[in-house]
Amino acid sequence: MLILKNTVRFVFLILLQVLILNRIHFLGYINPYLYIYFLLMLPFATPRWLLLILAFFLGLGVDIFSNTPGMHAAASLAVAFIRPYLIKRISPAEEFDPRARPSIVINGLRWFITYSLILITIHHLLLFYIEIFRFSEFFQTFFRAVLSIVFTMILILISEHLLYRKK
Amino acid sequence: MRNLFAFIWKHNFFFLFLLLEILSLYLIFAHNRYQQTVFVNVTGKFSGAVLKSYHYFTSYIYLKDANEKLAIENAWLREHIHPAFLKSDSKQFVLNDTLYRLHYQYINAEVISNTTSFRDNYLLLNKGSKQGIRNHMAVIAEQAIVGQVIAVSDNFSWVMSVLHKDSKISAKFQKNNQLVNVEWTGGSYRKGEVREIPKHVQVKAGDTIVTSGNSNIFPGGIIIGQISDFVDNKAENFNSATLMFTIDYNRLAYVQVVIDLMREEKENLMNQKLPGEK
Repeated sequence: MLILKNTVRFVFLILLQVLILNRIHFLGYINPYLYIYFLLMLPFATPRWLLLILAFFLGLGVDIFSNTPGMHAAASLAVAFIRPYLIKRISPAEEFDPRARPSIVINGLRWFITYSLILITIHHLLLFYIEIFRFSEFFQTFFRAVLSIVFTMILILISEHLLYRKK
Repeated sequence: MRNLFAFIWKHNFFFLFLLLEILSLYLIFAHNRYQQTVFVNVTGKFSGAVLKSYHYFTSYIYLKDANEKLAIENAWLREHIHPAFLKSDSKQFVLNDTLYRLHYQYINAEVISNTTSFRDNYLLLNKGSKQGIRNHMAVIAEQAIVGQVIAVSDNFSWVMSVLHKDSKISAKFQKNNQLVNVEWTGGSYRKGEVREIPKHVQVKAGDTIVTSGNSNIFPGGIIIGQISDFVDNKAENFNSATLMFTIDYNRLAYVQVVIDLMREEKENLMNQKLPGEK
């Protein structure tokens, strides 16, 4: 059940990303990268190696459709790598239900925003700087990344809210 | 090895991350034109700088080899350019000297090397035994004396200049045929010394000295120079005079080598045993 659910999410988020979100170009160039939500939502008990594999293929899936081989994969991998350490760091001492996933309901809004904002920031900054790949437009790139981070964060909060409501 | 695998297994998360991240980066650099260019540019600059300094050091080590190769190549190239070919115009002209009834042939030759600044000076001519030059032939230029051939190879000949300490030319006054000797005492290449001038001979500046023809080497009547300075030396049996050579030996370019066709005959005659001689 858990596997099926995540597989559906995996496919759905990639398709959503490449078919709709990549074409938004809000204000001319701001795109949200909501597909990263898949990584954020994986259960706490997900084996770490599986996390990496999934992140790699998630990013690669987006890459294939947006014709940027390796860029999204590299950024996603960084998120998957940091996620276990981050959870350990910002979570209270008590154990979570291994089958549970990070969510507003379980961890609280503040925890969730901290958690996703850090990972999104890492992901977006990496993604943008790999894509631009030069330091001469450092602040311009940073500004674009920040706008996208905000955009993605808002979308994730909305999605989280909708999923929460559905339950 | 087992330890290594154990280590990797223990940190499989990190190594898997590393592996996949490297794979992603490979994809980025292999398939994205812009990143590829930047990557190649940066690594190219770095490797270029390293290789350049490496070359900077190694080039000193190979400098000797390189020089040798260049020298060999230069020699090879020089062999193939125009001045390398010996211009051998084998023109000879014949002077029928009716006055002395001697038969001389002249060979034009170019002076390849020439010195005037040493005590013993030599000239190198661009013609040799193949062109008919033999040892002990006279060398003249502009009908004035230059020297004598002392060594011959196939295509070159080595000439002892008048400006040599062993050069002692039998000469005479053109005006009265008084025999003297001309030597070069060193110093200025324009000035020679006329020796053994008999006391009774009236010497004036401007008197012309020519070869006597007494030696088997120089034909008679070849101009040597003119008296420039004369001091009557009461203490000696003979007077000496300073002579100004007609030719500026420092600017010799073409000379003629004199072939004495009757030299062999003369020498045979002189070597003949006189009647009664044992």
